[in-house]
Amino acid sequence: MGRVVVASVGYTKVGDHWDKSILDLAVEASKKALKPYPNIKPDVIIVGNMFSGRSSRQEHLGALLASALNLAGTPAFKVEAACASGGVAFNVGYRMVRSGEASSALVVGVEKMRDLDAAEVSLALSMADSAEYTQFIGASFLSLNAMLARLYQETYNVTRDELSAFPVIAHQNATTAEHAQFRKAISVEDVSRSPLVSDPLRLLDCAPIGDGAAAVLLTSDKLLDEEDRVEVLSSKISTNIFSVYEREDMLTFSATKDAASKAFSEAGVSVEDVDVLEIHDAFSVTAALSVEAMGFSKPGEGAKDAAAGVYSLKGRYPALTFGGLKGRGNPVGATGLYQIAELWLQLKGRGGLNQVEGCRIGVAQNIGGVDTTSVVTVLAKR
Amino acid sequence: MSEVAISYWRMRARYYRLLGNKCSSCGSEYYPPVYLCRRCGSESLVDVEMPNTGQIVTYTILREVMAGFEGQQPLVLGIIRLDNGVKVVGQIVDTPPEALKIGSRVKMVFRKIREEGEAGQIYYGYKFTTL
Repeated sequence: MGRVVVASVGYTKVGDHWDKSILDLAVEASKKALKPYPNIKPDVIIVGNMFSGRSSRQEHLGALLASALNLAGTPAFKVEAACASGGVAFNVGYRMVRSGEASSALVVGVEKMRDLDAAEVSLALSMADSAEYTQFIGASFLSLNAMLARLYQETYNVTRDELSAFPVIAHQNATTAEHAQFRKAISVEDVSRSPLVSDPLRLLDCAPIGDGAAAVLLTSDKLLDEEDRVEVLSSKISTNIFSVYEREDMLTFSATKDAASKAFSEAGVSVEDVDVLEIHDAFSVTAALSVEAMGFSKPGEGAKDAAAGVYSLKGRYPALTFGGLKGRGNPVGATGLYQIAELWLQLKGRGGLNQVEGCRIGVAQNIGGVDTTSVVTVLAKR
Repeated sequence: MSEVAISYWRMRARYYRLLGNKCSSCGSEYYPPVYLCRRCGSESLVDVEMPNTGQIVTYTILREVMAGFEGQQPLVLGIIRLDNGVKVVGQIVDTPPEALKIGSRVKMVFRKIREEGEAGQIYYGYKFTTL
């Protein structure tokens, strides 16, 4: 099987795009990703998206985008795995190129969230969990993560200030990221003073609602034999028992643990080799449980390590380097592709003020539900 | 037409009586019911009511409710470990939130979950209250 190159990336700013439709956003990101290689016509177009049917009354995004890009005739389809839709779409594109089925793939993640009000977004996000058993009784996605946060704090004696460390890091990095939704630093005190939305989680523990699209052009190394390229070393998907309360051990992100272990093994890298890390910090507690599941922190120590600086831009494992879901924003189906685009910027040395010096190996972790689906991808600079 | 009226009708025994299922082979119990036993893989499962008492594993007071629950905020939600070991998620009612503790004993009660306007469908199901 061949090697797969992330040739180029494109993305919109994340935020309130009142004047743009879901297709406008997807086209904008796609055109930016395709522009550097006008002679490459993608063999397949894959769109990652969670709830366009609810937000825009629009499905069939694959053909819709292909047609808009004057690429009718190209195989095109949407991939959905809740908030992991982008990461899973990337995984599918990667496997198609690696297998030789396609010599290039355009993978686009897009979500239009702001056309819905907050209660409707909450309902749409709740569809990541069981409609019949979780949504029916009023347990939103936020409330599930809040219950997990309380259990995490109680079990491992994690303080309010320690839990706040990941959001503070995210916002700090977002201040210098041009495409970020919130370019504003926050303090630990700001998190503690922000309104309770589902205790113990406060407003600043939670990723915001925003619109955005991110795209990557994948090619085989035969098609693009450049020096200084970014290659995909591995990408693995795993799934967990569906709802968090059905699991015996609710504090181990088993899907992430499994996907990371397989991805690291196939890539031939260990935790210590990783130079830059994009994790799924939809909530402060999610970030902590994610780094623990991947082995960057011991169980119960993710938030404490973040508070000690391990995951800061100049720390041992720089994470959320352009703001993560909390600072850059979380247009859910696009998030997994923003992560890949940001790792590409880092590995190409185009990170600007957010550059992690000398980085060679980058890891992205994108989850859907409460670690119900997890995708872990390893990229390397060649 | 309501998006969920028909699925609600289909689910009524699950919601009214916490009707889960049990593996005929190894005895493991489940709510939500499973299609295959998670422990032994058996396809032989029979419906069984869950015990109606248990204790709080974790809880939250949700202040930003989702569409369909407008006007009900805050909602108190908990993950409850029932006395047979099965964990379920449900609302906790008739208890001041400040009195809640991990480990508190609760029992199941039958309540209105929500309604779709004055002339629309009313949905009922289980909630929990502290003992």
